[in-house]
Amino acid sequence: MADDGAARQLDKEILSPKPGIQSPAEGGGDFQPRIVGFLCNWCSYAGADLAGVTRLKMPPSMVAIRVMCSSRVDPLFVLKAFLAGADGVLVAGCHPGDCHYQTGNYYTRRRFALTLKVLEELGLEANRVRLSWVSASEGGRFAEVVTEFTETIRKAGPNPAKTEVFL
Amino acid sequence: MAERIGVYVCKCGPNIGDKVDVDAIVDDVKGIEGVATAKSHNLLCSADGLEFLKSEIEGEKLTRVVVAACTPKMYEQKLMRACEEAGLNPFLMQMTNIREQCAWVTPDKALATRKARSLVMAAINRAPLLEPIERKEIEVQADVLVVGGGVAGLEACLSLAQKGRKVYLVEKSPCIGGLAARFEEVYPTMECAPCMIAPELQEVLQKENIEVFTHSEVEETLGSFGNFSVKIRRKARYVSEEACIGCGACFEPCPVEVSNEYDEGLSKRKAIYVPFAGALPNVPVIDKDNCKRFKGEECRACEQACPFGAISFDDKDEVIERKVGAIILATGATLLDPKALPQYGYGKLDNVVTALQLERLNASNGPTGGKVLLKNGKEPKSIAFVFCVGRKEKEYCSGICCMYSIKLAHIMREKLPDAKLYCFYSDICVPKKEHQQWYDRVVDQGVEFIRSNGTVAVTADKGKLAVKHGTDSSGKTVSVDMVVLAPAVEPSSDIEKLAGILDTSRDDHGFFCEEHALMKPFATALEGVFAVGSCQGPKDIGDAVAQAGAAAGRVLSRLVPGEKLALEPMVAVVDEDLCSGCKTCILLCPYSAITRDKEKGTSVVDEALCRGCGTCVAACPSGAITAKQFTREQILAEIKGVAK
Repeated sequence: MADDGAARQLDKEILSPKPGIQSPAEGGGDFQPRIVGFLCNWCSYAGADLAGVTRLKMPPSMVAIRVMCSSRVDPLFVLKAFLAGADGVLVAGCHPGDCHYQTGNYYTRRRFALTLKVLEELGLEANRVRLSWVSASEGGRFAEVVTEFTETIRKAGPNPAKTEVFL
Repeated sequence: MAERIGVYVCKCGPNIGDKVDVDAIVDDVKGIEGVATAKSHNLLCSADGLEFLKSEIEGEKLTRVVVAACTPKMYEQKLMRACEEAGLNPFLMQMTNIREQCAWVTPDKALATRKARSLVMAAINRAPLLEPIERKEIEVQADVLVVGGGVAGLEACLSLAQKGRKVYLVEKSPCIGGLAARFEEVYPTMECAPCMIAPELQEVLQKENIEVFTHSEVEETLGSFGNFSVKIRRKARYVSEEACIGCGACFEPCPVEVSNEYDEGLSKRKAIYVPFAGALPNVPVIDKDNCKRFKGEECRACEQACPFGAISFDDKDEVIERKVGAIILATGATLLDPKALPQYGYGKLDNVVTALQLERLNASNGPTGGKVLLKNGKEPKSIAFVFCVGRKEKEYCSGICCMYSIKLAHIMREKLPDAKLYCFYSDICVPKKEHQQWYDRVVDQGVEFIRSNGTVAVTADKGKLAVKHGTDSSGKTVSVDMVVLAPAVEPSSDIEKLAGILDTSRDDHGFFCEEHALMKPFATALEGVFAVGSCQGPKDIGDAVAQAGAAAGRVLSRLVPGEKLALEPMVAVVDEDLCSGCKTCILLCPYSAITRDKEKGTSVVDEALCRGCGTCVAACPSGAITAKQFTREQILAEIKGVAK
């Protein structure tokens, strides 16, 4: 994976966060999973918006990072999210065949398979990452994905990278 | 210089205000390094809110703005404009969505506040890494290349020319008009097709700003949307279009006779010919492959017969270069050759014909002057129409065969009132408002419809044809004089070459692939290249014309003479110092936007084609490609903020 000075600098900061900024997980006694969600602009981000427009309820665990296409998600981002303390990472894009950019999500799917292998090698449970296809009309599905995934992560417990460096 | 970030959290009235403790977030972020000011507002998207934002940018001398509000899909553009009006590059604003994706889905206020804070943190982290992006505009050519002179191509030419655009029409055959020019009558209006398209043909040929290249092919295209350079090979016609008046004196003396492909092989033509009577432009062409002179024999029969000295054996192919801004492909379709399906006996049995052959037999400018005759010169007393020939093999319904077969059955009923007419079908596909009544009408006219579900087999039977249908045990046979096959519609033979020249993709069936089947059925994935009519998928005349009109409309609205073309600002950029020239990105780009700079050995992104998906960015093994507004550093900073 490509890297450079700026990213390495970020590494340092991620591993030793600035004091004073309280993270949601540290707020209470119960384990509140933190999930970073990479959502494609056209389908999944719009699906997440629709979940809100229809006032569906879902756990507050997933915080979205918008990308234009799920194929923008460099496997490095997934690893960095774990290193930054995420307990789970969701990648969501248009359904296969529906990609706004024709074929982007097919590459996402291949990269995701590769990312899973890397995570396994590193000893991180494969169920901490999830790839989901959510269309712009699937607000309900988006809420379900987040709810289910949050439950999965809750069972898996906090990311071990918080207490032991796996990279 | 340290950045001065202004953080603005919108309450959206009660929508965010009641669900998220906005003031707590504002207080919390105030101390963060780089944050010059943090404030809440009741409704940022209102006129008041936008004025407030502008005065803040100016008053606080902000270099970055973070707005936490609704989804960027609602008002990002509006807020960006406000930034621009306040003198801040609009791409230096970072928006984050705390309404749809936070306040509206999180009932617990404390949890919603925490999530909102994460989102705001991510945006604040990202903000210093934002870079100004200048919106680029390029000069464009408003002229257009249309490939294919059938009904779709003609419509495109005329729509564009009527608005003053210069249009270059390239047609591979010696005449324009496409398949429709060869039909006697067309459904659902049952009007004379040559009469219907004649005014269009005349107008295209006569309009000053349409340059027609018949007997020509596109040889090369370079460049991209707005600025294509195309090479057109105008094949030697050996007859001067200027000198020839179309008197036809040259045909008779020509000693060569070959099968006429424009009559589907049902007639003979000379080596100097026009495809059919009334073909436009009315200028013959010499078929070099069959002309005796080009085979080394001393023959000047046509030259001697021409009263105007229009024949020139020295004529050479000419390669003509033109600059255009867009390309409309309208290369049409043809029918599957039923020889590939031996059960129908086509090519082996006499009087088994394709629907196109029957169209020519029925045409008054056809080989029999419009008389439907068997090989022995007699009128058929019974005809079987076989639908769905090759549908199973092709795995698609061509959608027009039922209706044109019904049309032909109707015409045959009127032409041959005593003939027995059978239609062997699998499913009847007559979906438009005028079509079903034609089905009902031919049923009323005594045409017998037999559901054969693709089981038809045709054999010779004592001078007639036996049409067997049904499974072996229950199989029945109908004896007829003539069998008319309705083969699947497939793209014309040159589509592969053209797709290669343009680097545009084709679907599983070989047709040009549309950008979106529903929303952009007339465009290809290549910006500025459109595919209309049957080259994009089987279509009837009305649909082909409508699609051509849609493409022409797009061209007219996007390419305006004297106006520059605004490019997508969020594109990919290659750092040529880091690029190793592995070409991975070139293979992945769905828009053919990346090419290789041969001299430097690196990849180059064409900003007129890039749509900013970022596929190449994530794939680059050297990290040499940056996605503007979605850089690695920006996303990593956002990740870091989210996880805080």
